[in-house]
Amino acid sequence: MFRTILNKLNPVELTCGFHTTACLNEVRLLTRLRVVDNSEIGMRAMAEGKPPKVICVYNKQRVGFIGDRVMVAIKGQKKKGILVGLKQTQKVKVPKFDSNNIVLIDDNGTPLGTRIHVPIPTILRTILKEKTHSKGADYTKLLAIATKFV
Amino acid sequence: MNQAEVSKLVSKLRMNIKPEHRRLKNLKGPEGRIDKLRKTVTGLIKFERIELNINRGDEARQYAERLISEAIRHGDCHKPTMDMANFWLLEKQLVHKLFKVLVPRFENSTVSYTKMIKAPKAQNTEHTNKIVLELRGNPYPDLIVKQPNNRLWIQNVLLDAAKYDYRQSKISEIAANIGKDTQLSSSSLTANNKGGTQKEES
Amino acid sequence: MAVTLRKSTELFTVAKWLTRRDCRTLSSLPEKAKLASLEVTEKAETSRRRPKKVNPLLENRHAYPEFLPDPNPKWRNSLREKLERADMLKRRNQIDIPEFYVGSILAVTIADPHSQGKTNRFVGICIERKGCGLRAEFTLRNVVDHQGVEVRYDLYDPTIHKIQVLRVEKRLDDKLFYLRDALPEYSTFSFDMDPEILPEGTPVPINPVKVELKPKPWLERWERQELQGISNIEQYLTKKDKVRRELRKTPWEKYDLMKQYRKTIPIEEQTDIWSEVNSQLQQLQLARKKSTRKRTFSAPKTQLG
Repeated sequence: MFRTILNKLNPVELTCGFHTTACLNEVRLLTRLRVVDNSEIGMRAMAEGKPPKVICVYNKQRVGFIGDRVMVAIKGQKKKGILVGLKQTQKVKVPKFDSNNIVLIDDNGTPLGTRIHVPIPTILRTILKEKTHSKGADYTKLLAIATKFV
Repeated sequence: MNQAEVSKLVSKLRMNIKPEHRRLKNLKGPEGRIDKLRKTVTGLIKFERIELNINRGDEARQYAERLISEAIRHGDCHKPTMDMANFWLLEKQLVHKLFKVLVPRFENSTVSYTKMIKAPKAQNTEHTNKIVLELRGNPYPDLIVKQPNNRLWIQNVLLDAAKYDYRQSKISEIAANIGKDTQLSSSSLTANNKGGTQKEES
Repeated sequence: MAVTLRKSTELFTVAKWLTRRDCRTLSSLPEKAKLASLEVTEKAETSRRRPKKVNPLLENRHAYPEFLPDPNPKWRNSLREKLERADMLKRRNQIDIPEFYVGSILAVTIADPHSQGKTNRFVGICIERKGCGLRAEFTLRNVVDHQGVEVRYDLYDPTIHKIQVLRVEKRLDDKLFYLRDALPEYSTFSFDMDPEILPEGTPVPINPVKVELKPKPWLERWERQELQGISNIEQYLTKKDKVRRELRKTPWEKYDLMKQYRKTIPIEEQTDIWSEVNSQLQQLQLARKKSTRKRTFSAPKTQLG
């Protein structure tokens, strides 16, 4: 059965006809993220199966990198968060995760949850410290609630 | 940045290989290209000298050399090599020829097993892309004539002698003139003339 | 003289092939073709002279594949390769980079300026090894607190403190990317795992474990990749998947001699490289064996978070 289909189909018909890039796994507008802290909103949203979607990435490139602040829409509300784990291939020694993880924070940088049950990359320590110097808010508070560093 | 494959070992080919393979205009894609090359390699092994276009010829040459080097490395008791030869050589008696005739011929060779020679171009065209692909040690006479002017051939012997005689006569003439300038005796002049004529006869 | 004789015999054999289409004489010399007994002895001779000995130096290519240069001729530079090999050996004198394969479980300790204790230890299964020369890399995968984590490391990175092989083994495939779509138990390895030392001289074991995949969606079309290490792929395939897999198959690729050639470094070049590098690698291996023999059991150290 398959051989007859094979004989009829041209190899040209097997291609998609336009060029595509490799899968980049970027975090940008309308990306769905996984909330990894134990905040009420976060846990409810993940349980209902309506994960937060990115509305704004606070970045010149508009593509989220590790430690970037993003604005997400959860359960009809706008919340800010910090990306703590990316599916995108990272530089050497920076860990890559199987899901795009986010920790919800408020405008001052205090996280909404009390514990992060997923490992966090150690490079966040340096990134968040630098971010704290440039703006008024203190983003290193979420490091205090992290349980494991990878 | 690629890591070299370590599962298989290959012998080095003794010819220039371009970094990319040629796609060889064909409608069926990569399978068609391999089919085309299969036919060419079969023809080369069967006839030992074929004339064709340079692109297909160069590709087929690479594949033929690879096939022969695999056969030499592994011999005819090695199943994957036999499978490979069975795929590439469309006539099954050529598989026997490969292992029983070509392998002993090329076993101890240090040069390439095939030769690619540029063939003369067709008249009134600028396209110079015909080549002759042949296995070394084929039974036909050589295409490249190595010594077009052998000094021992009869015409070259006679020509050499004629040139020598001419040169000698010129030298004697000059010598005679020198004698005239210094006002030597006429007897020496006549003696030289006689000597010159004697040499020409021999 | 011998050449003309050979040519005449070959002329005869070629004439034979051309005239007798279905000739079955297998001998190359026409005189011996007449005698059946001599044919038999010739067959025995040919089978005897066939198996050529492979240079034992070439066995190094499995344990140290990064010493071989890039097969792409556009990126070859003999001087740079020589210098890189010298630098690789210098680094190996400083730190013991053990022999491992895709599927082995490693523990890597690196100098980490971002972490509190200034060092960071990660344990995982090696899912790929790529790159050549000083840019050789490997990726470790582990599932920590139900979160899959992968970390890439440079083999010759000077900030690496220690690479410890906890379990040396090979798997059925060269790349284990399908572990990302497999059940998490196949990628979980405890950070407190003890090193499993094999007795000296045993060949590297091949773990024949076949992994179970999670239901679709998958990251790649594993069914099209001819992977040996997956057990339950067929149950998740639809009719369309199976049809497209058949259409996409390229059975001629395994016979493509030049494709294989362009991906490999030929034997002559490999022997040059290994003869350059082998003595030092042997010394390092001996030193490693001595240290394993001398090492006495130490109590397991407490892990820092």
